[in-house]
Amino acid sequence: MGSLILDALNVRVQGQGEKVLVFAHGVGTDQSAWQRILPFFTPYYRVVLFDLVCAGSVNPDYFNFRRCTNLEAYVDDLLNILDTLGVDRCFYVGHSVSAMIGILASIRRPELFSKLILIGASPRFLNDEDYHGGFEQEEIESVFQAMEANYEAWVNGFAPLAVGADVPDAVREFTRTLFNMRPDITLFVSRTVFNSDLRGILGLVKVPCCIIQTSKDVSVPASVAEYLKNHLGGENTVETLRTEGHLPHLSAPAMLAPVIKRALSR
Amino acid sequence: MASSSMDMAATMNDLPDVILSIIFSSVSDTRARNSLSLVNRKFLALERSTRTSLALRGKARDIYMIPTCFRSVTHLDLSLLSPWGCSDLLSSASSDPFLLAHRLRLAFPLVTSLTVYARSPSTLHILLPQWPNLSHVKLIRWHQRSSSPHLGNDLVPLFEHCQALSSIDLSSFYHWTEDIPPVLHAYPSVSKALKYLDLLTASLTDGFKSEEIQAITAACPSLTKLLLVCIFDPSYFGCVGDETLLAIVANCPKLRVLHLVDRASLGSTRGEPDDDGYTREDAKISKVGLVDFFTGLPLLQELVLDVYQNVRDSALSLEALHSKCPELKLLKLGQFHGICMAIESQLDGVALCSGLVSLTIKNSADLTDMGLIEIGRGCCKLAKFEVEGCKKITMKGMRTMASLLHKTLIEVKISCCKNLNAVASLRSLEPIQGQIERLHLDCVWEGLEEDGGILCFDLNEGLCQSFEHEYGSKRKKSRYSSDPDPSSFCMQSNGNGMFSKSWDRLRYLSLWIGAGVLLTPLPTAGLYDCPNLEEIRIKVEGDCRTGHKPSQREFGLSCLAYYPRLSKMQLDCSDTIGFALTAPSGQMDLTLWERFFLNGIGNLSLYELDYWPPQDRDVNQRSLALPGAGLLAECLTLRKLFIHGTAHEHFITFFLRIPNLRDVQLREDYYPAPENDTCTEMRVGSCWRFEDALNGRQIPD
Repeated sequence: MGSLILDALNVRVQGQGEKVLVFAHGVGTDQSAWQRILPFFTPYYRVVLFDLVCAGSVNPDYFNFRRCTNLEAYVDDLLNILDTLGVDRCFYVGHSVSAMIGILASIRRPELFSKLILIGASPRFLNDEDYHGGFEQEEIESVFQAMEANYEAWVNGFAPLAVGADVPDAVREFTRTLFNMRPDITLFVSRTVFNSDLRGILGLVKVPCCIIQTSKDVSVPASVAEYLKNHLGGENTVETLRTEGHLPHLSAPAMLAPVIKRALSR
Repeated sequence: MASSSMDMAATMNDLPDVILSIIFSSVSDTRARNSLSLVNRKFLALERSTRTSLALRGKARDIYMIPTCFRSVTHLDLSLLSPWGCSDLLSSASSDPFLLAHRLRLAFPLVTSLTVYARSPSTLHILLPQWPNLSHVKLIRWHQRSSSPHLGNDLVPLFEHCQALSSIDLSSFYHWTEDIPPVLHAYPSVSKALKYLDLLTASLTDGFKSEEIQAITAACPSLTKLLLVCIFDPSYFGCVGDETLLAIVANCPKLRVLHLVDRASLGSTRGEPDDDGYTREDAKISKVGLVDFFTGLPLLQELVLDVYQNVRDSALSLEALHSKCPELKLLKLGQFHGICMAIESQLDGVALCSGLVSLTIKNSADLTDMGLIEIGRGCCKLAKFEVEGCKKITMKGMRTMASLLHKTLIEVKISCCKNLNAVASLRSLEPIQGQIERLHLDCVWEGLEEDGGILCFDLNEGLCQSFEHEYGSKRKKSRYSSDPDPSSFCMQSNGNGMFSKSWDRLRYLSLWIGAGVLLTPLPTAGLYDCPNLEEIRIKVEGDCRTGHKPSQREFGLSCLAYYPRLSKMQLDCSDTIGFALTAPSGQMDLTLWERFFLNGIGNLSLYELDYWPPQDRDVNQRSLALPGAGLLAECLTLRKLFIHGTAHEHFITFFLRIPNLRDVQLREDYYPAPENDTCTEMRVGSCWRFEDALNGRQIPD
């Protein structure tokens, strides 16, 4: 069972070091998103990389629609990997949805994580009465419409043609990556992501967190970073990168790496 | 009676084996050969015994599946085994790499020519000793050279194990210029026997320096073919100058084929048609130097001097080319100016090289219509003519030249010439429309003023006295002879501009088009009727990061459905630059462009497709996106699909919908190829699973 998951999720361990550092990519990308960040860390840490089960680089047959209805299934996968590798303590860097997964994992197994580094994280993407998550219901609806059109086309043997450019500008950067999977998986995972709401359990997190935010991320408003800082249960810091975008590990790795390093050393 | 009439009819089977064997030897198409071998056992045996060239496809680790019936193969290509470009062909194959090498030798005992992907020298150390008679080796590596300081390390196995080596091709092998001279010096017995050396590699950042060129040629005096990337830019140390050229001819007098190409010229992007054509500096090559250079190469048949720095007033030197190199058939000149003076009716400069069969002129700033006509008169045997980046030539000159060469010209390329847009280029070839077999055009649709009346120059007037003298008598005969007057050729055209004849012989079309420009005007521009067009290459180039969207949903590939026999396409969007996932707000990413380019491709009945996805240079990513995968999967007649980039598993599984798809490979054949499977979205396991699924299907034929 153990080695199966290492194989299925393309787990790789690189680098030399005593401490373990886990990089978890966001939905719609895969572990190669970290490739320009890695050289800053492989000399000093044992780095663990893996692909989420919904990633395009993983055999789509492994995606179990019944199991992956919420984020807990992804937490299971993460903990399974760490247990199989024999890791009992690690640093965790998670982007976007993987940040949410890291938060949930640290509630279940607080002793496993020395620190969580959360990049572009948000406990809930949809706006609520007093809460500004960044996405309006209508905007999400238009995204789902595009995804449903793709799904229909794909199921009937036609080319799925809706792309990131077809959705409103406000949601485009985030959802662009969501289109990077098979249409049925895309639709399913997107529903999971937009239905998730972790606000209620943030207080249960005891592990210290570093929240890294870019100066302008259309998908994650600045207020969300503050919200996280104030509501996560442990010691929290917020770092702001002087760059724009939701994927700083792709667009500005040289700026992000030192910030992660600093966070790890504290 | 019945039996005797059957005895009378002779079939192919009755031919003696020797004759059948000779016939089969000349069949080169693989599918035809496969069909032959299915006829009966005798044909099978004959086909196998005459098949001399084989490219192995399949998984490196399935060594038990190596075919053993092709024992006559002398040329073996192992570079396409799966996974493509794997880190070490032999070590990933099985636990015993020697076993694989041994099995290959048993299956193909007569190999003398080998092509292999050599990521590290260990592969070669194990493989090369299997065939001691190897005379030609082509090494391929798109992955970066390891940063090991041992120069030439990658090539040592070649020189150590192949005593009969006479030909090395490193044109697709990632190496440094410093690797070559040391290994040539270390193995003088092999170097001295080398006849063919191809070092025209795009991976080199600079090109060979003068000292290196001198060292290489000194070590290999028997060379008959030499292709080198060099530096002609005078601001660099080690640039090629007169002494370098003289050293080459002094060291290698037997050269038949010589290509000296400036590194900047090897780039795949087109130049700027608005450039005046002169570079800032001149090359350090003098007229005298050139003349001495040509004098030293009496056996020369093929010469490429793609200099990329001005070589001015070259007419006199080129005249020497004619007298000193009588065998010269192919000539390519880059950045040579004044190649012919076009004074009245005299033939001079390059126009004196009457034996030329192929001529390419690139960036000749002062080439005019008169020059073209002079070349058309002088180089009267030209079958292939290519002109690039010449601002001053127009449709009239080109058309007159085409008419002059109506007897021989079958292949033409016109690119980056400001006054020759697509329509003008096609009109200029109208006189020889029915005989052109291969054509390249730039799809520039912006019109020039149509010069209503005169289509070409009137050759009958006193303009060219000697022309009169040469052709005058023929003109009188033309009424009676079947040899039409060239001037009458160029006057033919319908007044309304529509082409009356079809491009009967056109089999291969190559197009350049800017990103965002539509392809749809192509048929109406003049390529409406191409009944035999089989293969098309389209290169799309441009920067998509400026924020604009394509104006329409479709690039226009559907318009190619006009060509009934079109079956093979190369769609190269690799120089279309944009953002993959990190487009700043307000900007479009490449998925939109990919949808634009590929929309409609399912309407063509393509059999074979090579596709280069657009590129995100910041992250060195060339990958297939969702709309691309979906649209390619709509090409239901595809049998072979090669994607020159990456794609993840979710998307490549779309291709399993194509019923007869047989051969698919993702080839990251660009510099530098991604190091390993954690650098991209592709995983080795994905490739295995996909290939198993692909191979597991029943294919009717």
